[in-house]
Amino acid sequence: MTLNRFTTSRFGEISFEDADVVTFSEGVLGFPDSRRYVLIQHREGSPFRWMQSVDESGLAFLVVDPAHYLPDFSPEMPVADAEQLRIDEGTARLVYTIVTIPPGRAEEMTLNLAGPLVINCDEGLGRQIVLEDPGYSVRHRVFAEGAAKPAA
Amino acid sequence: MLVLTRKVDQSIVIVQDGVVIEVHVLDVRGEQVRLGVKAPKSTPVHREEIFRQIQASNQAASAINPDDIPE
Repeated sequence: MTLNRFTTSRFGEISFEDADVVTFSEGVLGFPDSRRYVLIQHREGSPFRWMQSVDESGLAFLVVDPAHYLPDFSPEMPVADAEQLRIDEGTARLVYTIVTIPPGRAEEMTLNLAGPLVINCDEGLGRQIVLEDPGYSVRHRVFAEGAAKPAA
Repeated sequence: MLVLTRKVDQSIVIVQDGVVIEVHVLDVRGEQVRLGVKAPKSTPVHREEIFRQIQASNQAASAINPDDIPE
Protein backbone atom coordinates (compact mmCIF):
# COMPACT_ATOMS: atom_id res chain seq x y z
CA MET A 1 0.00 0.00 0.00
CA THR A 2 1.58 3.23 -1.16
CA LEU A 3 0.75 6.56 0.36
CA ASN A 4 0.78 9.25 -2.30
CA ARG A 5 1.42 12.87 -1.49
CA PHE A 6 0.18 15.83 -3.47
CA THR A 7 0.30 19.54 -2.74
CA THR A 8 -2.98 21.37 -3.36
CA SER A 9 -3.62 25.10 -3.48
CA ARG A 10 -6.57 24.96 -1.03
CA PHE A 11 -5.68 22.18 1.40
CA GLY A 12 -1.89 22.16 1.38
CA GLU A 13 -0.29 18.73 1.21
CA ILE A 14 -2.73 15.83 1.15
CA SER A 15 -1.95 12.13 1.29
CA PHE A 16 -4.05 9.39 -0.22
CA GLU A 17 -3.87 5.75 -1.22
CA ASP A 18 -4.22 4.53 -4.79
CA ALA A 19 -7.58 3.04 -3.83
CA ASP A 20 -8.88 6.51 -2.89
CA VAL A 21 -8.46 7.81 -6.43
CA VAL A 22 -11.52 8.18 -8.65
CA THR A 23 -10.55 8.22 -12.32
CA PHE A 24 -12.67 10.28 -14.69
CA SER A 25 -11.43 8.92 -18.01
CA GLU A 26 -12.91 11.93 -19.85
CA GLY A 27 -12.39 14.43 -17.05
CA VAL A 28 -15.10 16.76 -15.82
CA LEU A 29 -16.64 18.74 -18.71
CA GLY A 30 -14.39 21.67 -19.54
CA PHE A 31 -11.45 20.13 -17.64
CA PRO A 32 -10.26 17.29 -19.88
CA ASP A 33 -6.68 17.31 -18.56
CA SER A 34 -7.56 16.41 -14.97
CA ARG A 35 -8.54 12.77 -14.76
CA ARG A 36 -7.78 11.72 -11.18
CA TYR A 37 -9.62 13.05 -8.15
CA VAL A 38 -9.91 12.28 -4.44
CA LEU A 39 -12.85 13.15 -2.20
CA ILE A 40 -12.19 15.22 0.90
CA GLN A 41 -14.72 15.82 3.69
CA HIS A 42 -15.40 19.58 3.92
CA ARG A 43 -15.95 19.81 7.67
CA GLU A 44 -16.90 17.34 10.36
CA GLY A 45 -20.62 16.65 9.96
CA SER A 46 -20.96 18.73 6.77
CA PRO A 47 -22.85 17.26 3.80
CA PHE A 48 -20.27 18.83 1.48
CA ARG A 49 -17.22 17.13 0.01
CA TRP A 50 -14.41 18.50 -2.07
CA MET A 51 -13.50 16.64 -5.19
CA GLN A 52 -9.83 17.59 -5.44
CA SER A 53 -7.87 16.93 -8.60
CA VAL A 54 -4.59 15.10 -7.99
CA ASP A 55 -3.40 16.09 -11.45
CA GLU A 56 -3.85 19.85 -11.02
CA SER A 57 -3.19 21.42 -7.63
CA GLY A 58 -5.62 24.33 -8.02
CA LEU A 59 -8.60 22.35 -9.28
CA ALA A 60 -11.30 21.27 -6.84
CA PHE A 61 -15.07 21.13 -6.99
CA LEU A 62 -17.43 21.42 -4.04
CA VAL A 63 -19.94 18.59 -4.29
CA VAL A 64 -22.91 17.37 -2.30
CA ASP A 65 -25.13 14.30 -2.38
CA PRO A 66 -28.24 15.72 -4.10
CA ALA A 67 -30.41 13.61 -1.77
CA HIS A 68 -29.40 16.00 1.02
CA TYR A 69 -31.54 18.73 -0.58
CA LEU A 70 -33.68 16.74 -3.03
CA PRO A 71 -34.66 13.33 -1.66
CA ASP A 72 -36.54 12.52 -4.88
CA PHE A 73 -33.64 13.15 -7.26
CA SER A 74 -33.05 9.84 -9.01
CA PRO A 75 -32.55 10.36 -12.74
CA GLU A 76 -32.25 7.40 -15.02
CA MET A 77 -28.68 6.88 -16.11
CA PRO A 78 -28.23 6.89 -19.90
CA VAL A 79 -27.10 3.51 -21.25
CA ALA A 80 -23.92 4.94 -22.77
CA ASP A 81 -22.80 6.30 -19.41
CA ALA A 82 -23.61 3.09 -17.55
CA GLU A 83 -21.49 1.23 -20.11
CA GLN A 84 -18.58 3.63 -19.73
CA LEU A 85 -18.77 3.37 -15.94
CA ARG A 86 -19.21 -0.40 -16.04
CA ILE A 87 -22.18 0.02 -13.71
CA ASP A 88 -25.11 -2.33 -13.52
CA GLU A 89 -27.94 -2.59 -11.01
CA GLY A 90 -25.83 -4.21 -8.33
CA THR A 91 -22.82 -1.89 -8.51
CA ALA A 92 -22.14 0.28 -5.44
CA ARG A 93 -22.17 3.88 -6.56
CA LEU A 94 -22.06 7.43 -5.31
CA VAL A 95 -23.90 10.34 -6.89
CA TYR A 96 -22.83 13.93 -6.31
CA THR A 97 -23.86 17.24 -7.77
CA ILE A 98 -21.41 20.08 -8.26
CA VAL A 99 -22.16 23.16 -6.15
CA THR A 100 -21.78 26.75 -7.33
CA ILE A 101 -21.83 29.70 -4.93
CA PRO A 102 -21.49 33.24 -6.34
CA PRO A 103 -18.75 35.07 -4.37
CA GLY A 104 -20.13 36.24 -1.01
CA ARG A 105 -23.70 35.12 -1.77
CA ALA A 106 -24.20 31.73 -0.10
CA GLU A 107 -27.97 32.20 -0.30
CA GLU A 108 -27.67 31.95 -4.08
CA MET A 109 -26.04 28.52 -3.96
CA THR A 110 -27.02 26.31 -6.90
CA LEU A 111 -26.64 22.64 -7.74
CA ASN A 112 -25.94 21.37 -11.23
CA LEU A 113 -28.63 18.72 -11.52
CA ALA A 114 -28.19 18.36 -15.28
CA GLY A 115 -24.58 17.21 -14.90
CA PRO A 116 -24.37 14.90 -11.88
CA LEU A 117 -21.17 13.03 -11.06
CA VAL A 118 -21.57 9.28 -10.77
CA ILE A 119 -18.85 7.11 -9.21
CA ASN A 120 -18.50 3.36 -9.52
CA CYS A 121 -17.17 2.65 -6.02
CA ASP A 122 -15.99 -0.88 -6.81
CA GLU A 123 -13.70 0.21 -9.63
CA GLY A 124 -12.95 3.82 -8.74
CA LEU A 125 -14.41 5.12 -11.99
CA GLY A 126 -16.20 8.45 -12.27
CA ARG A 127 -18.08 10.29 -14.94
CA GLN A 128 -20.04 13.48 -15.35
CA ILE A 129 -23.39 12.46 -16.80
CA VAL A 130 -25.26 14.80 -19.15
CA LEU A 131 -29.01 14.67 -18.56
CA GLU A 132 -30.98 16.02 -21.53
CA ASP A 133 -34.26 16.20 -19.59
CA PRO A 134 -35.08 19.94 -19.27
CA GLY A 135 -36.56 19.16 -15.84
CA TYR A 136 -33.00 18.97 -14.50
CA SER A 137 -31.55 22.45 -14.19
CA VAL A 138 -27.89 23.34 -14.59
CA ARG A 139 -28.45 25.95 -11.86
CA HIS A 140 -30.96 24.58 -9.39
CA ARG A 141 -31.33 27.13 -6.62
CA VAL A 142 -31.25 25.47 -3.18
CA PHE A 143 -32.53 28.26 -0.95
CA ALA A 144 -35.74 30.05 -1.91
CA GLU A 145 -35.31 33.57 -3.21
CA GLY A 146 -35.67 36.10 -0.41
CA ALA A 147 -34.90 33.45 2.21
CA ALA A 148 -32.71 34.38 5.15
CA LYS A 149 -29.00 34.05 4.51
CA PRO A 150 -27.76 30.65 5.67
CA ALA A 151 -25.05 30.55 8.31
CA ALA A 152 -21.67 30.60 6.55
CA MET B 1 -14.49 23.51 -39.62
CA LEU B 2 -15.14 20.99 -42.33
CA VAL B 3 -18.30 21.93 -44.25
CA LEU B 4 -20.26 19.30 -46.18
CA THR B 5 -23.48 19.66 -48.13
CA ARG B 6 -25.95 16.80 -47.73
CA LYS B 7 -29.50 16.15 -48.89
CA VAL B 8 -32.32 14.39 -47.07
CA ASP B 9 -31.57 10.68 -46.74
CA GLN B 10 -27.85 11.27 -47.13
CA SER B 11 -25.41 10.96 -44.28
CA ILE B 12 -21.88 11.52 -43.10
CA VAL B 13 -19.63 9.00 -41.41
CA ILE B 14 -17.15 9.80 -38.65
CA VAL B 15 -14.49 7.22 -37.91
CA GLN B 16 -12.16 7.34 -34.95
CA ASP B 17 -10.10 4.51 -33.48
CA GLY B 18 -12.14 1.98 -35.41
CA VAL B 19 -15.43 3.34 -34.10
CA VAL B 20 -17.90 4.33 -36.81
CA ILE B 21 -20.51 7.02 -36.18
CA GLU B 22 -23.11 7.82 -38.84
CA VAL B 23 -25.12 11.03 -38.90
CA HIS B 24 -28.15 10.88 -41.19
CA VAL B 25 -30.20 13.82 -42.43
CA LEU B 26 -33.75 12.52 -41.99
CA ASP B 27 -35.90 15.53 -42.66
CA VAL B 28 -35.68 19.26 -43.32
CA ARG B 29 -38.62 21.54 -42.58
CA GLY B 30 -37.94 25.25 -42.73
CA GLU B 31 -35.22 25.92 -40.13
CA GLN B 32 -35.54 22.54 -38.47
CA VAL B 33 -33.32 19.64 -39.41
CA ARG B 34 -33.91 16.16 -38.01
CA LEU B 35 -30.76 14.13 -37.64
CA GLY B 36 -30.39 10.47 -36.89
CA VAL B 37 -27.19 9.33 -35.18
CA LYS B 38 -25.99 5.75 -35.37
CA ALA B 39 -23.25 5.18 -32.83
CA PRO B 40 -22.14 2.40 -30.49
CA LYS B 41 -24.30 2.43 -27.39
CA SER B 42 -21.26 3.33 -25.29
CA THR B 43 -20.96 6.65 -27.19
CA PRO B 44 -22.88 9.51 -25.56
CA VAL B 45 -24.55 11.92 -28.00
CA HIS B 46 -25.82 15.27 -26.78
CA ARG B 47 -27.34 18.49 -28.00
CA GLU B 48 -24.59 21.08 -27.90
CA GLU B 49 -26.49 23.61 -25.71
CA ILE B 50 -26.73 21.46 -22.59
CA PHE B 51 -23.13 20.36 -23.00
CA ARG B 52 -21.93 23.99 -23.08
CA GLN B 53 -24.15 24.96 -20.14
CA ILE B 54 -22.64 22.23 -17.98
CA GLN B 55 -19.12 23.26 -19.03
CA ALA B 56 -19.87 26.88 -18.07
CA SER B 57 -21.37 25.79 -14.76
CA ASN B 58 -18.28 23.67 -14.01
CA GLN B 59 -16.06 26.68 -14.75
CA ALA B 60 -18.03 28.82 -12.29
CA ALA B 61 -18.00 26.04 -9.67
CA SER B 62 -14.23 25.62 -9.89
CA ALA B 63 -13.72 29.18 -8.61
CA ILE B 64 -15.71 28.70 -5.40
CA ASN B 65 -14.50 30.38 -2.22
CA PRO B 66 -14.46 28.00 0.79
CA ASP B 67 -15.48 30.87 3.09
CA ASP B 68 -18.85 31.05 1.31
CA ILE B 69 -19.93 27.49 2.11
CA PRO B 70 -22.95 27.21 4.42
CA GLU B 71 -22.99 24.76 7.34
